[in-house]
Formats: sequence, C-alpha cells, structure tokens
Amino acid sequence: MNRIELERFLGEVSIERETFEYWIERRWIAPVQAEDMELSDADAARAVFIRDLRNDLGVNDEGIDVVLQLVDQVHGLRRVLQALRVELAGPRGGTEQE
Amino acid sequence: MESPYDILGVATSASADDIKKAYRRLARKLHPDLNAGDKAGEERFKAVSVAYRLLSDPDTRARYDAGEIDEMGVERPQQRYYRDHAGSAQADGYASDAGYADFMDGDDAFVEMLRRAAQARANRRGQDLHYGLPVTFAEAIAGGTKRLTLPRGGVIDVTLPAGVVDGQILRLKGKGAPGAGNGGPGDALVELEIAADPRFTRDGEDITLELPISLAEAVLGGKVRVPTPTGAVEMTVPPGSSSGTMLRLRGQGLPRKGGSRGDERIRLKIVLPKGRDEELERFVSGWQAGKDFDPRAEAHS
Repeated sequence: MNRIELERFLGEVSIERETFEYWIERRWIAPVQAEDMELSDADAARAVFIRDLRNDLGVNDEGIDVVLQLVDQVHGLRRVLQALRVELAGPRGGTEQE
Repeated sequence: MESPYDILGVATSASADDIKKAYRRLARKLHPDLNAGDKAGEERFKAVSVAYRLLSDPDTRARYDAGEIDEMGVERPQQRYYRDHAGSAQADGYASDAGYADFMDGDDAFVEMLRRAAQARANRRGQDLHYGLPVTFAEAIAGGTKRLTLPRGGVIDVTLPAGVVDGQILRLKGKGAPGAGNGGPGDALVELEIAADPRFTRDGEDITLELPISLAEAVLGGKVRVPTPTGAVEMTVPPGSSSGTMLRLRGQGLPRKGGSRGDERIRLKIVLPKGRDEELERFVSGWQAGKDFDPRAEAHS
C-alpha cells in the first residue's frame, strides 16, 4: 500500500488545505492516519472525486452528502456481490487441492 | 475525429457558460465514480474532459480555433478513480451496509455468507507496507543492522543478512499496518537498493577487483594494500607477476551456504609511469631475453 504525503498530494490535485480539513470535518473523508499527514490511495482518490463533484459537476455541499452516502452504499453492495461471486465460484475455484 | 464542440454538443459560437453547462451535464452522467462498474464509459468521460479542458480556457480555445493545437494538447495523465480503490481494505471505513442491512435479519445461506464476509473483513490482517532501503556494497557483503526511518515517523531496525543482492526483499513480520480485530498486523516488505561499488564486480560468492601495480612490483614482487569491501588489507604480489595474473584473498567474498565465504579475486594490471622514461627505454632496448619473448606465441599455436 502506498501512502501519500498530504501536502504534496493537495498541491498536485489543487485542493486547498482548509478545504480538505473542512471535508474531514464534514466526514466526507476520514483518513486513518490524518495526524501523520499521509493518505492511503483510497483516501486520495476519494478526495479527487469530491473535488470533481464540487468543481466540475457543480454539486453543492448538501448534494455531496447525498452522493457520497449513495456511492458508499453502492460499493457496500458491490462488496457483497463480489463476496457472493467468490462463494459461488468457490468449489470450482481450484483452492481445494490434495 | 470528433471536434471538442461535437463531443460537448455545443455550437462553435457557444459562450463559456454554455460550454460549462454542457460539460457539467455530461460529467454528471459519465463520471466514472458515479458509474462504479462501467469501465467502457470511462473513455467517453475522458474525451469529454479533454474537450472541456480545451474549450474552457479562452487561450487554448483560441489556439484550437486557429488550428494551432489539437485535442492532444491538453491530455492529462490517467486519473485514478475512487471506484478503483473502493473495494480495497483501505476503503473499509467508507463502504456502507445501509443498502442491504435489512437482509441480515434472516438466517438463510445468503445471510450466512454475508456474515462470514463481514467477519473476515472485521478480522482482516493489516496491510503489508513497502519500503526501500539503501545499502552500501560493503554492508551487502558483510551484513549488519540498518535503521529504516519510516515516512510517517518511527524506525525499524532491519537485520541485514550477509550477502544480500540488489532488489532483494526482506519481509519483517508484523511490522506493517495494524490489522482489524484479531487480524494481526501486516508485514513490512523492505526492498534493498544496493549501491554499486565501482571497484568491485560480483560473481556469485566471489568478488573481483582490478588492482593496478607498478612495473617494479610486478617484476620484483612486494607487499601492496588491497581494498576489500570491509577495509584495506595487505597482500603479497609474487615476483614475476603479469597483467591479468589473478590473486586470491580467501574469505573476503560473500557467504556461502554452509558457513564459508567466497573469495576476493584480484586481477593485476601493470601500469607504467606517465610519460616516457629514457632509462627504462635504454634498459629494454638492451634486454635481449625480453625482446625474444613472444607473449602471443601460445595464442598462435
């Protein structure tokens, strides 16, 4: 897992530090190691998504609340589907060998 | 090729505001993070983004209209989308079960499967973390302990076995990211970056060094200082040594299986003093045995 240095990342994707802190306050993004000033790849990609929602797609803060909630549900469901898919493929998946 | 105006569906005379509106309308539909499973749509979104970047900047738009640049002028490196990471352990904190939590009340096989998956996630082992560690040639030969300073603070003491090679990865159990529940931490995977030492080349467990010696040392023999990866040692050059003569320092190479070590092989290279030397030339002109000797005779036979 790569970890991304926060300051450099924010510079690269044109997000102000205060803006990013507001997103954390708003619980749109929850870096596990926020105090270390580092982000996981998932945190970083999520921040870019939030930036796109605000800047490019013209979604306001209330809209972002809703979008993220639904997106997180979609991914929750995708995980279940994936688990189901693995389960269904299981016996034929070749994991059980002599 | 479609023009950026066609891609956004606007007239070439469209105002900046029209262009922005058209882009937003398309982006809301096509943004990959709003289409979690639609890989094909990504290309369309990319085309729309490129078209918008081109037309949203009055300067690049004017240059495009004048035929000075094309769509490629504003290509950006591939963006990584959240959807590409949303299934990873890193995103565990974000994924929501609000879309199916009501199913969990049942007790059928499907629910059992969901519970098992949730439990596996709750006890997931921590991630392995990757680090690079620069190592000198001498350290690679001799081994030892190196302190790795972690990017997010803290240190790990890495025990280097003797004889590691460049690119080798050491796995430090339990030094990775913390796990969840009973999952236990991941491992730290430390990739060794061994600095080359221009003096030595490595050949299996042996190392080779080219050692310049003077003509006097070659003819008369003598004691010379020889660098080894762990410091210089004294060695005797036997009288009558040639360029290319190989000498051997036993046990100065890399460890072998079973405890012994390889050797340092020293290839002698005779170096004359810079510039001509009249005395030497006089001597060699009068040195019949030297002139009669043909060092290529063996090669010819």
